[in-house]
Amino acid sequence: MAAPQGGHFGRILEIDLTQQKHKVVNIDAEICRAYMGGAGLAVHLLFDALKAKHDPLAEDSPIFIGPGPLNGTYCVSTRVSFANKSPYTGLLSHAETGGHFPNEVKWAGWDGIFIRGRSKRPVYLYIKDDDVKFMDAKAIWGKDTHETEEMILKQIKEPYARVACIGPAGENEVPYACVIVERFRAAARTSTGCLMGNKKLKGIAVRGTKAVPVVDMDKFYKAATVSKQFALDHEGWQGIKRWGTAGLLELKNYVTGSLITKNYQTTWYPDIEEIGAEQANRTFWQKHSACNHCPVHCQKLGVIRGGEFDGLIAEGPEYETGGLLGSNLGIADFDGMMAAIELCDAMGLDAISAGGSIGFAMELVQRGIITSADMDGMSLEWGDYEAVIEMIKKITYKEGKAGKLLAKGVRRMAEEIGKGSMDYAVHVKGKEMAAHDPRGDKPRAVSYTMGTCGGDHHEANSPAGQAKRCMHNSLVMCSFVGGYWSPKMFVDMLGPLCGWNMTEKEFWTTAKRIRTLERCFNVREGISRKDDVLPKRMLTEKLPEGPKKGAVVTPAEMKKIQDDYYAYFGWNENGIPTQETLKGLGLEFAIDQIKGA
Amino acid sequence: MENDSVAIQNVLEKETTRRGFLKGVGVATGAAVAAVAVGKIKPAVAAKEAAPKTVKKNLFAERQNCVGCRACEYACSMYHEKTVRPAKARIHVLKYKGVVDVPVICWHCDDAPCIEACPTTPKAIQKDPKTNGIKLNKDLCLGAKCNKCIEACPAKFIRRDPDDGQVLMCDLCDGDPECVKACLAQSGNPVGPCLMTGNVGFGVNRAYRNVTPEEAGDDLLRRLFYPNETGERRK
Repeated sequence: MAAPQGGHFGRILEIDLTQQKHKVVNIDAEICRAYMGGAGLAVHLLFDALKAKHDPLAEDSPIFIGPGPLNGTYCVSTRVSFANKSPYTGLLSHAETGGHFPNEVKWAGWDGIFIRGRSKRPVYLYIKDDDVKFMDAKAIWGKDTHETEEMILKQIKEPYARVACIGPAGENEVPYACVIVERFRAAARTSTGCLMGNKKLKGIAVRGTKAVPVVDMDKFYKAATVSKQFALDHEGWQGIKRWGTAGLLELKNYVTGSLITKNYQTTWYPDIEEIGAEQANRTFWQKHSACNHCPVHCQKLGVIRGGEFDGLIAEGPEYETGGLLGSNLGIADFDGMMAAIELCDAMGLDAISAGGSIGFAMELVQRGIITSADMDGMSLEWGDYEAVIEMIKKITYKEGKAGKLLAKGVRRMAEEIGKGSMDYAVHVKGKEMAAHDPRGDKPRAVSYTMGTCGGDHHEANSPAGQAKRCMHNSLVMCSFVGGYWSPKMFVDMLGPLCGWNMTEKEFWTTAKRIRTLERCFNVREGISRKDDVLPKRMLTEKLPEGPKKGAVVTPAEMKKIQDDYYAYFGWNENGIPTQETLKGLGLEFAIDQIKGA
Repeated sequence: MENDSVAIQNVLEKETTRRGFLKGVGVATGAAVAAVAVGKIKPAVAAKEAAPKTVKKNLFAERQNCVGCRACEYACSMYHEKTVRPAKARIHVLKYKGVVDVPVICWHCDDAPCIEACPTTPKAIQKDPKTNGIKLNKDLCLGAKCNKCIEACPAKFIRRDPDDGQVLMCDLCDGDPECVKACLAQSGNPVGPCLMTGNVGFGVNRAYRNVTPEEAGDDLLRRLFYPNETGERRK
């Protein structure tokens, strides 16, 4: 077994919460090269660690938190991957989030943190380099994510540490609870928060003081500078830098015609200027905030001045949060929308799933399928932000009939309610879709249907794009930064960093290996072609208004997406990786596992 | 990029020299002062004769502009350690209450309390005649045994090396600070650079340096995010 030379430390921190012990697991240089890190390393570890149909909430179900080889080096690589088998969908899921937490994990000398077991009492982890402490979280349990972060930093007396933690939603095991990193960033779409709550793990604080080993510093520095300068000069960054992703709210409404509105009934939202980026810029934003070493600083922080929510500090709106908790719910009150977004952050709820579930309930009320009596007396009319805020609280604590129902998410709500409500349930593989309507923005259908996690807006819009995104998620890289980089730029950096003689061909092979193993994991759980489809509304209902009036995803288009995608990755027509493909990618061990699918 | 930096430098120097000029001619006729104030006479031209040329280098942080990307830490450790290792950088960024970012820098004070506190003879910390900034002589420093300069620093800037307990002191990169260049490269649209060098910010130096990072964070938070009279965050 050889230790990696550079980029990786070759060490994973394995935490056993049941025994409250930790140990160091070495990883081989070969594995590092075959799976990179982050989401790639996660699927390698989770595929072995879990058997088919393993209960995601069992005591031995793992969570993997992994930065990639480029994290903590001069290259702008700012993210970390949270991966686990999702208790929400029963599939492999990974969520990437930015901030400074990822690089602190790397600087502490770890290529990943692998968490198993279940603690008897609430704990949080404090990791300072090789020193790992299990800290008592009794006093913090029940607090929102902001207070949790403040209390943890106070207790450990290390103001420069960074914290990832869960809120009350995770503690109450709401299936779409998320992990909040550094107060406003979320690793939302994996249900890791639910799993952490189940394990009684309130948070993780990390501070690292090491340096990532680099094989050839001069060459690497040059390559990293080239890619950074390329990104700095690229026009595509300037808009995000100025307006954050909130700028897309107006764009998708007026130009692309894909801003979801009123639970995907249309993509035209006349009140967009009340909740969009310009309104935020005029009345709300005070400060930009950046991830580690990132020149884009897309995060915008602001404070509400005057009115009902005077003095409330919040982050956003982003495109997804503003779409799902703004136009999707018909909200035209900026302050009310921000209060709802902020509440999701504080409670540790995935804003996309929460907004999707509330929007679905609102449409069912509109159509008279459920009444306000089913919703604990709440009227749930479009645009009623007070009801939305109340409902988010109810979901967090699973309060009352409504809270219990909406905490189950769209698919299970529709199954439970029946009465034809499934026609209005917008989800892929059990996960709510994000704020891009695939009828207006057709390439987005690839991301939603073909992505590993289901209903995921962030898996890229073409087969080759998804392969590249796999590498982004494994290296672990932000697509605002790495999105414009060519594979050559990655190879030029990885070569001198890790001491590899890497080619562009290997880049693509690695990408396909990771994507195919992810698919094998999900095939083992019973996923095939029949699941890779958009919800009924996207295939049957034409857009009634807006720039893309009349658009719909036809069955022929859906079939073409599937066929092209399976052909690109070498899977059969049912979406199952073939034996030849698996052998060609060095995944022979998976052949037996997916037999019979 | 270099041209930009020169341009910004010129603007900043104009600002400060103008202020110095106005102070200097405070007793001159009102008409002349008013003319300068409304910009009829170009102040930079007028100031050229009045202000003496200085080679003094300062480091200055406009805290409001910091977005917390920590590019300065990267540049600092690349220059001094030849690797990316923020724990050994001579500049830090504190995230205060998860909302505001406070750049923690050495202000290279004129009266330098750290030099006063240094117990060795000759002193391990001295003014560098080249930059007029603080410079540490590692050979004379008592290292982990001594805590005097760390206690004396009003900005609570000085930190220890995680390896050997030596203090980490900013040396202005011999007059051309890397952190300033990195900050300028990362900034813009619409946030300006936070770190600046040259003859800037003089006069406010004392006021800025005499606060701890936490106090500075509190001040920023209050200034940017607590506009209401009660000054309390809504639950």
